[in-house]
Amino acid sequence: MEAMYAFFMDTAGMDEMAAHITVAVIMATIMFIVMALCAIIFTWMERKVAGFLQSRYGPMRTGRWHGWAQAVADMLKILGKEDIIPAEADKPYFIFAPLLVLLGSLLAWAAIPWAPGFVAADLDLGLFYIFAVTSLVVLGILMAGWASNNKWALYGAARGAAQMVSYEIPLLLATIPVVLYTGSLNTQDIVIAQQGGVLNWFVFRDPFLFIAFWMYFIASIAETNRGPFDMPETESELVAGYHTEYTGMRFAFFFLAEYANLFLVSMIAVMVFLGGWWSPIPGLDFAPAACFVVKGVLMVFLNMWVRWTLPRVRVDQLMHLCWKVMIPVTLVCVVGAGIWMMASGAVG
Amino acid sequence: MSQKLVDSLQREFGTDILAVDSPRGDESVTVAPERLLDVLGHLRCAGCEQLSDVVGVDHPDRAERFELVYLLRSYADNERVQVKVNVAEDAPVPSAAGVYRSANWAEREVYDLLGVPFSGHPDLRRLLCHHEFEGHALRKDYPIEQGQECARPEKLFTDEDIARAAERANDLVSDPDDVHDELHPSDLLTVNIGPSHPATHGALRAEVLLDGENILEARTEIGYIHRCFEKEAEDHTWAQVMPYTDRLNYCSAMLNNSIYAMAVEKTIGVEATPRAQAIRVIVSELSRIIDHLVCVCANLVDIGALTNYWYLYNVRESIYETLEKLCGSRLTTNYARIGGMSHDLFDGFDAEVRTKLDEMDVGNADVMKLIARNRIFLDRTVDVGVISQEDALSWGYTGPCLRATGLAYDLRKLAPYSGYENYDFDIPTGTNGDTHDRIMVRMAEMVQSRSIILQALDKLPDGPLNIDDNSVVLPPKESVYGSIEGVMNQFKLVYEGIQVPAGRGYGFGEGANGELGYYCVSDGTGHPYRLKVRPPCFPIFSSYAELVRGGMIPDAIATLGSLNIIAGELDR
Amino acid sequence: MTADLIFVLLALLTLVPAVWVAFSRNIVHAGFSLLLTLLGVAGLYAYLGADFVAVTQVMVYVGGVLVLILFTVMMTRVPQNGRPRHGLDRFVPAAVFALGVFGLLYKTITAVEWAASEGAVEPTTAEIGTNFITSYIFPFEYVSLVLLAAMIGAAILIRERRPEETEEPAAPAPETEEEVAS
Repeated sequence: MEAMYAFFMDTAGMDEMAAHITVAVIMATIMFIVMALCAIIFTWMERKVAGFLQSRYGPMRTGRWHGWAQAVADMLKILGKEDIIPAEADKPYFIFAPLLVLLGSLLAWAAIPWAPGFVAADLDLGLFYIFAVTSLVVLGILMAGWASNNKWALYGAARGAAQMVSYEIPLLLATIPVVLYTGSLNTQDIVIAQQGGVLNWFVFRDPFLFIAFWMYFIASIAETNRGPFDMPETESELVAGYHTEYTGMRFAFFFLAEYANLFLVSMIAVMVFLGGWWSPIPGLDFAPAACFVVKGVLMVFLNMWVRWTLPRVRVDQLMHLCWKVMIPVTLVCVVGAGIWMMASGAVG
Repeated sequence: MSQKLVDSLQREFGTDILAVDSPRGDESVTVAPERLLDVLGHLRCAGCEQLSDVVGVDHPDRAERFELVYLLRSYADNERVQVKVNVAEDAPVPSAAGVYRSANWAEREVYDLLGVPFSGHPDLRRLLCHHEFEGHALRKDYPIEQGQECARPEKLFTDEDIARAAERANDLVSDPDDVHDELHPSDLLTVNIGPSHPATHGALRAEVLLDGENILEARTEIGYIHRCFEKEAEDHTWAQVMPYTDRLNYCSAMLNNSIYAMAVEKTIGVEATPRAQAIRVIVSELSRIIDHLVCVCANLVDIGALTNYWYLYNVRESIYETLEKLCGSRLTTNYARIGGMSHDLFDGFDAEVRTKLDEMDVGNADVMKLIARNRIFLDRTVDVGVISQEDALSWGYTGPCLRATGLAYDLRKLAPYSGYENYDFDIPTGTNGDTHDRIMVRMAEMVQSRSIILQALDKLPDGPLNIDDNSVVLPPKESVYGSIEGVMNQFKLVYEGIQVPAGRGYGFGEGANGELGYYCVSDGTGHPYRLKVRPPCFPIFSSYAELVRGGMIPDAIATLGSLNIIAGELDR
Repeated sequence: MTADLIFVLLALLTLVPAVWVAFSRNIVHAGFSLLLTLLGVAGLYAYLGADFVAVTQVMVYVGGVLVLILFTVMMTRVPQNGRPRHGLDRFVPAAVFALGVFGLLYKTITAVEWAASEGAVEPTTAEIGTNFITSYIFPFEYVSLVLLAAMIGAAILIRERRPEETEEPAAPAPETEEEVAS
């Protein structure tokens, strides 16, 4: 990062602001490509995991080895599909909505610390920033559902907005104990505070953090709109929910955003609770970025495992779970972790 | 069988009972249309809780052109009786919809297909045919080749309906002064669940009136795949109808075949050989297992538990392979014949079926592990789509959906046929009549079916497959190729059809989803004069609008899945 | 130079959609336009080095308030003619009110001595946090109480509609013979 700034300011002769913007554009492009790659890999992975859990193979033909090229082929196919915009849809908003959804997760990806010093946007309040920009996704979904001019889409959007706004609260609350421990919202600081092996990871620091981790996990499933909380889509009830009317490229954006968000919340879990780039055994930190990604993928697997195991909850039960169970429990976790910290002398 | 009911009717109504007869053991009484409601009311009080179906027969040559047969069933006494009325064209018949809820749709069907008007019916509209259709398809003078193009969809809720629903909902709110909560008609939204909706697989339509996610009211429309099965049957010989029965309940075609063959045999007055009966039992129970598997797994998919689908569907696929090996096709089996079966079992059938049943056990155990104590599953199904036993009977429920309300009634046990009395099995029941119980009853029934199949395989009798009556069964090939009598016999049976003696018979059995019955009327020619199917899901679906009212959209979907509505037999 | 350009862009991002919010005839469009305005304001905060306020702006206004506004707009009853009324009787009070607010804001802005920061901006989060629980503890707690009261009030207002009976009276299914005959 520093080298890049130096390059643009000294060699290309830009002023500081221009260099910042250039670097940001480059990083955003890299992020977007990584995100798209992730979406492709995770689509394939989801199909293989689902196949494994359902005693079948999943894709096996395309690309010979376990159908690895299936997701690529699907992407190419979906890009070549006709882009249909319903005649009665609100065109500008219909077009803008998928971009907004994608933008939300792209912005959040910027603050992920892949390895020491390797973070696109090293913000002082990184964690808070991530949760703030993901709220753009809610608006995108709302916009998509409304602009489609389809009753099912509107229902999906309304459900999605209600669900995501609600689950943002336990999601945030569950990470607050960690912020209490770290005393910083900076994503790198949070990871650095977990140095020293698996027992120093926040998830195992105290019982409240352990509960908070699972609360975070549940809320993150709801936040990404995946089963058993896939209310905005619910293919058997709302046809396809908020993206019922979307086709081709625009549908691919929603698809991309879903997997980008999935990996995002998994990475946040790794970053906040599971020691980030630190390896489980102290002193074996040869490949921090790889360690980080592997942990993230394991979290994604856990997420898929849950999705393909549990039935879908009903929309009112979902709200009940959030407001009457998870928010109180996470609040107790916040207070409990604070008391634990004082008692164990972790803070002065 | 039901002499008691007939006696009580004769005591009560005396000379108003115009005739009593019992074709093939089905007790029936004929009454004048004016006395119909009194007779039905009396029968209901005398213990006939259920009106199974209303059959209309057209006799253009008679002065009283239409003959309506009300099929009634008493569960408490395990008795049946038929009530007949004869009416002239355009003469109204009093509607029984106030006595039995199942009469609502049954009468609509008669009105639609035969044009018999019912006075006092709450909602006398067409049911199976399109609302723009002209004429009445099952009348003998309606040409079978005539086509009609009907395209405009029907709107099920008018603005007045919506305004009324809003008013009703407001009346129910406890606090009348609370103006903030008052519902306005424009707050309500009508949404079509189907026909093109993942849960209704393109064949059903329910328009729901929604206040947020809550269903204030629902209305259903059927007939999307009405193929005039009954009209087609009148144009074919009795034997030619067999392949069409495959397409009724396409999830358990073997059951349709067997029960159809049985119904025609009953009308003729013969009975299949013990070996044919045992084979029918085996394939029927296999079909029942398949049907239940499909129903349960589709229902679980509807509530989002996708993985269970494969655990159950793999088993179904595996059983389908056996059936395919047995009869050459998976879905359109066409295996039973009037008077026997198309051919005998293949070598190794026994062992193969036993393996398949073990697979089924594994699949079911896997699914039960995933759902039996799963909190989300229980939250989604318990107390969802509840129907009381009394309501279920009045709506015409039979089969697993009725047993889920706690009534242990199974035609295989209480009106045994095809030698079911020789097998030892239980009748699983539920307690609550909700979606959960319907799923669990089906899961338990698969275990019973397995036990029946194993017993039947153990004591599969040897002996001839077909009855020894060449007026019913095709002669053996050696005789056809080797003798002029054989050729003539084959020719007559194929061209003129089986000469079913003039008369009538109602053959019924326990289909996968309840009482599947065929009401056969023969005029002595080789063709059915009238063949009425009593599909189990027809009366069940008629209650759907009532079941989902007050629930939420997800409940409506879960309930629909658990009722096992098969559009093939619903629309015929 | 670049810095000025960014400021102009952010200002445009704030103002142009704001004009659209005011003049759009479609109330949902107005709501969605608010998104850009709010993001523009957040950008301005970030531009001024107020990182915490900028992120809070996004979190609270975009993620919370705007979603709520859109929800309300989408779920409220549509006027009978389908469009909001535009008449002089609406225009005059709105204009008076808007001018009043403008005057008030103008007065406030000119009355305050604005401190200009020089050089690199420091992160503000920790300082804000410390201030909240030290020198501003009373206002902070007071605001919390107000919000709590608002929440309870909202909960009371939207309490569930409770039907007296869960089901409507049963459809006709007479039990006695008399009823059937009648």
